Order: sequence, then structure tokens, then C-alpha cells
Amino acid sequence: MTGRNELGSQLARAGTCLRRAGWLLVPLYALIAAALYGAFLYAPTERVMGEVQRIFYFHVGMAWSAFLAFFVVFVAGTAYLITKDVFWDQLAAASVEVGVVFTTIVLTTGPIWARPVWNTWFPWGDPRVMTTLVLWLIFIAYLILRSSLPDAEKKYRFCAVFGIIGFLDVPIVWMSVRWWRTIHPVLITPSGFEMEAAMFYALMVAVAACSILLTVLILLRTSMRLNSKLLQEIRQRSLEERREKG
Amino acid sequence: MLRPLRIIFRIAEKDLRIEFRNRQAFLTVLFFAFLILVIFKFAFDPGEETVGGAISGILWVALLFPGVIQLNRSFQQEMEEGTLFGLLLAPVDRSWIFLGKFAANSVFLLAVDGLILLAFLALYNITARIELLWLAPLVALAGIAFCAVGTLFAAMVSTIRTRDVLLPILLFPILVPVILAAVNATREILEPVEAGFFANWVQLLAACCVIFTAGAFVAFEYVVGE
Repeated sequence: MTGRNELGSQLARAGTCLRRAGWLLVPLYALIAAALYGAFLYAPTERVMGEVQRIFYFHVGMAWSAFLAFFVVFVAGTAYLITKDVFWDQLAAASVEVGVVFTTIVLTTGPIWARPVWNTWFPWGDPRVMTTLVLWLIFIAYLILRSSLPDAEKKYRFCAVFGIIGFLDVPIVWMSVRWWRTIHPVLITPSGFEMEAAMFYALMVAVAACSILLTVLILLRTSMRLNSKLLQEIRQRSLEERREKG
Repeated sequence: MLRPLRIIFRIAEKDLRIEFRNRQAFLTVLFFAFLILVIFKFAFDPGEETVGGAISGILWVALLFPGVIQLNRSFQQEMEEGTLFGLLLAPVDRSWIFLGKFAANSVFLLAVDGLILLAFLALYNITARIELLWLAPLVALAGIAFCAVGTLFAAMVSTIRTRDVLLPILLFPILVPVILAAVNATREILEPVEAGFFANWVQLLAACCVIFTAGAFVAFEYVVGE
């Protein structure tokens, strides 16, 4: 049973997460506005692909942020196994939730772009696409595992182990798909076109906007998770106290 | 040096002896795998020569999917009889327990897979060639990688009510590289191509085998806990 002090420190940490998210809101709004301007007005229309290529800025931004989220899962999982501090577990869980949403967006914006340009919804064999798909599957499995375990120290431990293994699996998947691809050559590559300077700037702003959005969402979710855990604990404790009294 | 080996051997022997006495899981898993081979056979025209790419995929579904049943059983049995506690209380390193379980599961799976491989060659009209012997190391490598991660995850889900569905859901996404390498290497055996990548696939499979076994070995400590 956690002491009163520990409850207080959990509350304080949830508050800190919320405040940090608040600070990031102004840069977030500014960057999103800039990214929208950059993608739709500032960047020139791609000569061959046309307007549909503009989805690329957010597609890449989301993809980068999703990988970042899963890296956070890896780091937080390791930190949990070392310190046994619930905060790290909640951070990892929040990152998986946001990361899966971002990966889903990547896997839906990809086909919208791929269909008109490469004439296929889903380029099987492209290492980037395949690795993203496998990552998505692994972390959906993580969420299923999480929801099937009762809330206890064991759950945090298992999830940390699975998150770490899932993340470390990524380079192996990447390698294996790259070899697969050399056997089934895919004629089109996503980076097959030269990027103009204006496009590059627009991309960088979009990547920054997505990363900040990811950070804000993870902080918000972590704070929510910590608070709901706290509420549960307080409720449990008051029930016990009432039972003791009468 | 000898003591760990003896302990690992004892744990593996215990599991295999139980299995050998009732043979329930062995027959179930074997029959399930055989069924997969037969059912998929209906997908093809009976007169037509089946193509290497598709049947190598079918072979690997039959070789690996039924293995999940055994992996789950290996810990479920210990839970039901309450012997897992005894095992964990034994004055031995937890990693040796993992290696014992892993060894038993590997022997079990490879025994099933050996028979399934023969059934596959017969059912799918594969003409005997010397190159087919390459299938043996492939099955061994993939089977060991499968059992290493599988034993770890089976220990993890053993207390969960929905473990039967949960185990394959956790296991197969992680094993994508193993399956990819195994299927493609098998395709090159069944349908030899010039300048193939067979050696690369075998290397990848061997690398996965080492990495996954080492990873599961390290992680088991954290999974069983105090």
C-alpha cells in the first residue's frame, strides 16, 4: 500500500505533466499553422505527382513521430524495469496509445498517396512500409496484452518487457524486408524524386509540428492515466477505512 | 559447468516424460498440423502442379501455428497442478528453468515438424532431391527461434484467462523476420533459382535464432519475477 506522501507525489507528477503540456500549446498552434501554410501554399506543386503529393508532409511527420513514440516506450520500459516506478509504466502506456494512433494515420495517408502515384494501395516489400506495418501490429498486441492483465506490478513488468522486445525487433524486421525486396524488386521508391528547398522547409516544419503534437498528447495521456490511478487508489482506501469503522 | 546442464536436462526430461506418457498434446498438435496441410490442398486444382511460393507459405503455417498449442500447455499444466511454484522455489537459477522449458518445447516441436515435413513432401508431390535435405536445418533454426520467444511469452500469459488467443497475437508479429526468412528460403529450395539469396536467408534465420534465444533468456528473469 502506498503511503499518503506517495499519493501526494503522484498527484504532483500528474500536475507537472499537465503543465508541461500547457506550455507546449502555444508553439504547437504556431507550428501547426506554419505546417499547414507550408504544405498547402508555400511548397510548390510536385510536377509529376500533382497536388496529392502534399499529403507527404504530414505522412512523413506522423511516421517520424510514431517511431519517436515507440522509442519512448523502449526508454520508459527500461527505466521501469530499473526503478520500478509506476510513472515510467504510465508514460510507456501513453506513448503506445498515441504511437498506435499516429501509425494508423501513417498507414492510411500512405495508400491515399500511393494509389494515384504508384498505382497500388500497398507496396508490399518496401522496407519502410513493412516495418511500419509490423510495428503497428506489435504495439496493437501490446495494447491487447495490457488490457488483459489485472492492474498490478506484474502487468507493468510484462508490458515493459514486451515493449522493449517489440522495439528491438524493428531493426531485424527492417533487415529482413530489405533482403526480401532485393528478390522482389519494387520499381518505385518513395524517395525517387528530387526535393526542392521549399519542399524541404515545409517538410521540416511539418515534422516539428507532428513531434510537438505527439509530445503534448503523450503528456496529456500520462497525466490522465496517473490521475485515474490515483482516483482508484483513493476510492479503494476510503472503502477500506469505512469497512474498518463499521 | 555440469550442474546447470544437469538441471536443464532434468526439467526438460520431466516435461517430455509427462508428454511421452499420455501423448495427448503430441497427437493433437500433429493432427492439427496435418489438417492444415490437407485443408490448404483443397485450395489448388487437383491436376495442377502447385507453385513453390504458395506452398512454402502453407508449409510454414503448418509447421509453426500448431506449435502455439504446445507452448501454452507447457505452462498451463504447471499452473493447474500448482507445480510452477515448486519449480520456481527450487534452489536453481531462473534462467536454467527457462532453458529447460525451452529445450523441452523445442524437442517437442521439432519432433512434430519432422513428421509434418514428411507428410508435406508426400501430399504436395515433391520429388525427392538431395537439396530437400536443406529443409532440416531451416526447420531446426526457425523452430528454435519460435520456441525461445514462445516459451517466454507463454510464461507471461500463463495466468491470463484469454491466453489461448493472446499467445499467437503476441508471438507472430515479433516473429515476422523468422517467418519471412523461412518461407523465402523454402521457396528457393522447392523452386531453385539462379543467383538466389538462399545463403542470406539462412544467415538471417541463424542470426534471429541467436538473438531471440539470448533475448528471451535475459527477459525471462523479469517475467517470472520474485
